[in-house]
Amino acid sequence: MAGELEGSKSLSGLLSGLAQDAFHGHPGITEELLHSQLYPEVPLEEFRPFLAKMRGILKSIASADMDFNQLEAFLTAQTKKQGGITCEQAAVISKFWKSHKTRIRESLVNQSRWDNGLRGLSWRVDGKSQSRHSAQIDTPVAIIELEFGKSGQESEFLCLEFDEVKVKQTLKRLSEVEESISTLMQAA
Amino acid sequence: MAESPLREPVLDAKSEVTCQLIDFQWKLGMAVSSDQCRSLKYPYVAVMLKVADHSGQVNSKSIEMTIPQFQNFYRQFKEIAAVIETV
Repeated sequence: MAGELEGSKSLSGLLSGLAQDAFHGHPGITEELLHSQLYPEVPLEEFRPFLAKMRGILKSIASADMDFNQLEAFLTAQTKKQGGITCEQAAVISKFWKSHKTRIRESLVNQSRWDNGLRGLSWRVDGKSQSRHSAQIDTPVAIIELEFGKSGQESEFLCLEFDEVKVKQTLKRLSEVEESISTLMQAA
Repeated sequence: MAESPLREPVLDAKSEVTCQLIDFQWKLGMAVSSDQCRSLKYPYVAVMLKVADHSGQVNSKSIEMTIPQFQNFYRQFKEIAAVIETV
């Protein structure tokens, strides 16, 4: 039976299921589901600690946002310890992290954001005439629509009107942000 | 939105009312760690928008964005500025 667990074919699937549950918020990925789908031959009492071990390893890797050097060192240590993992399993885990790292990190970042996140931006510029009873003044207007929302919630929309002066003022403020970002990136 | 290239200026307004931006505040933050992820290392831009609707009622909205999202936002704003000058 232990041989079943040591095999790598189902491990990839297991890691995917664990990631869906732990990071991407996919509902319904239960221990029973993973067991019956991926390791049906293995008794549940053996499967449970195996699942817990893999979950723990995946969470450690994700929590530390391990780069590939750290990953190799960590997995090597896991293969050497009592009740650890096999070299084959280490290879599967390594391959999984390499291909899923970015997506998992994105999910973790989204989970840590509790405020509205920007989801979209649309705009148009209208030429606008003032009252037809006074001198025709064409004041162009920019209309900007922001789409934003909290994690897992419906989008909210905000439609803002800017005249040319306001656009320029706002642009100047935004350039201050850009400058700050450059400073931060240089320091990093 | 962060990864999308410059979009065509298509606006099919989903919001009924246009508001005026009275002011905005910004901060550049770095999320270092969280209970889910000890090594988050995630820089972000947060803006607090103060807007007034047609009735004069003032509301605040705070919105967070990633660095690439902000840079896209800034790039689009520059495009708006360029277009509005020529209209």
